[in-house]
Amino acid sequence: MRLAVEIGGLRLKNPVLAASGTFGYGVEYEGILDLSRLGGIVSKGLYLEPRDGAPPPRIVETPSGLLNAIGLQGVGVRAFVRDVLPRLRAHDTAVVVNVCGESVDEYAEVSRVLDQADGVHALEVNISCPNVKKGGMAFGGDPRLTHEVVTAVRKATRLPVIPKLSPNVGDITVFARAAEEAGADGLSCVNTLLGLAVDVESRRPRLGFGTGGLSGPAIRPVAVRMAWQAARAVGIPVIGIGGISSASDALEFLIAGCRAVQIGTANFVDPGVHEKVLAGIVAYLERHGLEDVNDLVGTLELPVAGPLPAR
Amino acid sequence: MPTNREAPLVRRERLEGPYFLLTFRHPEVAALARAGQFVMIKAGLSAEPPLRRPFSIMSVDPRDETFTLFIKTVGPGSAALAGLAPGEPAQCLGPLGRPFEPPPAGSQALLVAGGYGVAPFVLLSRELLAVGRKPVVFYGARRAADLPLQSPFAGLGVPLTLATEDGSAGVAGRVTVALEAHLDLHPGPAELLACGPEPMMHAVARVAQERGLRAQVSLDPWMGCGVGTCLGCVVWVKRPGEQRPKYRCACTEGPVFDAAELVWPGAAASRAAGGGRP
Repeated sequence: MRLAVEIGGLRLKNPVLAASGTFGYGVEYEGILDLSRLGGIVSKGLYLEPRDGAPPPRIVETPSGLLNAIGLQGVGVRAFVRDVLPRLRAHDTAVVVNVCGESVDEYAEVSRVLDQADGVHALEVNISCPNVKKGGMAFGGDPRLTHEVVTAVRKATRLPVIPKLSPNVGDITVFARAAEEAGADGLSCVNTLLGLAVDVESRRPRLGFGTGGLSGPAIRPVAVRMAWQAARAVGIPVIGIGGISSASDALEFLIAGCRAVQIGTANFVDPGVHEKVLAGIVAYLERHGLEDVNDLVGTLELPVAGPLPAR
Repeated sequence: MPTNREAPLVRRERLEGPYFLLTFRHPEVAALARAGQFVMIKAGLSAEPPLRRPFSIMSVDPRDETFTLFIKTVGPGSAALAGLAPGEPAQCLGPLGRPFEPPPAGSQALLVAGGYGVAPFVLLSRELLAVGRKPVVFYGARRAADLPLQSPFAGLGVPLTLATEDGSAGVAGRVTVALEAHLDLHPGPAELLACGPEPMMHAVARVAQERGLRAQVSLDPWMGCGVGTCLGCVVWVKRPGEQRPKYRCACTEGPVFDAAELVWPGAAASRAAGGGRP
């Protein structure tokens, strides 16, 4: 059984990764999980400098979902390289670092620092965080800025560059193509959906930041649809993200055209969920007589005539 | 090191009203947990409610490989736990967090509980008794019906002073009224250890500050992961020597904090007073 996949030069031993913002820097789970069972770990987003993040409350449950506004609290890229990377190098898994910036220059600078570091396998470019006042979704909400950021990161590193796209746009294919044209090696689809939860007694937002990003099973059909659209629009591989908590959920993304998947919110519900998802994918491949997970990618059969838009 | 595993329900005891004692099999929690630590736990794997809940560990039985939670059912997560039948599994990660530190020898250990925040003080009383210390427990709530967890303290021979806001049991008034009366009668070295709704812990922190005592408080914000990855449970903490407060995770650097390091009020901008895990 072949489970290895490639995302534009990023080699993964299996297609199941832990999503940014739901797995810390990975080392928090040392001793609790066998990190080598993961195809890869995507770090919490990193800027050049440490950041406080958003005021609490930062998380709130919603129907089958989680609304969060953490605001990219983080230790900064240099502390990550100094304190965290040496520990991550001890684990046999791909390390993908989520790169943030308040400006194009900052994205490039963070990328340069990581390019020089030992133990980083790819960069995921965060142009889709809805919970910061500057940067984040602003870059992922305008195709020209998407192109500009990805171009700058591309120039700053030889590592595979994987922009993480926002679902808070009208047509994700525009952004997928802009990223591809700027030299992206793959795409992560998608980040959280912008949401608002209101405390009706106080008539205030339930999150300290106000709005937040919705994740979890509630968003999965939206995420599968957008990852599918992106995968059809570009030639580079797509990593599917959004509400995956079982093998069946992950298989939806693979069949829809994703080369790999990231598990996010479900890590909170069960930190060992990736092992169950991978075991379920293996069982599915066996049941369907498939030797290689890559043979499943993009095998969605479309109805001959139906509501699916032709591209 | 915490362990993530299925923890079957072993025993379920209904107390008054919405209160339950739930005992789960989890050898590592049973062997390692200390007072003030918690588990992240959820009944089954359904999408609803989405998250595990943090619950303070009330007691452990290492020989039985079990631990017990004191739960107030106020929403889908706690109700689902209380609805488990013996043998049915919960998903459980623990033990987690920083426990209460035993007060220095020679100072009174005054345990101040508000509502369902009384849970960790059963284990803490046992720990203190085991090293020859004699704690005193102050247990307050709105009304007598919200003081269901008294027998474990009687069983341990720990003095228990009750307080109710409506005067239906014990001292009439907030639990700090009973605490201050005790401090007036028994001056001298003492340390306050508190767990309950934030306004109550803020009041305990004020009492400690006014009287020059140390207070440890156990905070109760929403938590997503329990291990410091989601950064959802942060509180402002300012440690000695620091220029300004920093957001710190209640799950890994707490839930027990030195009250003097916290920024009150709003130390754990979290949930409605009165408490309970939805």
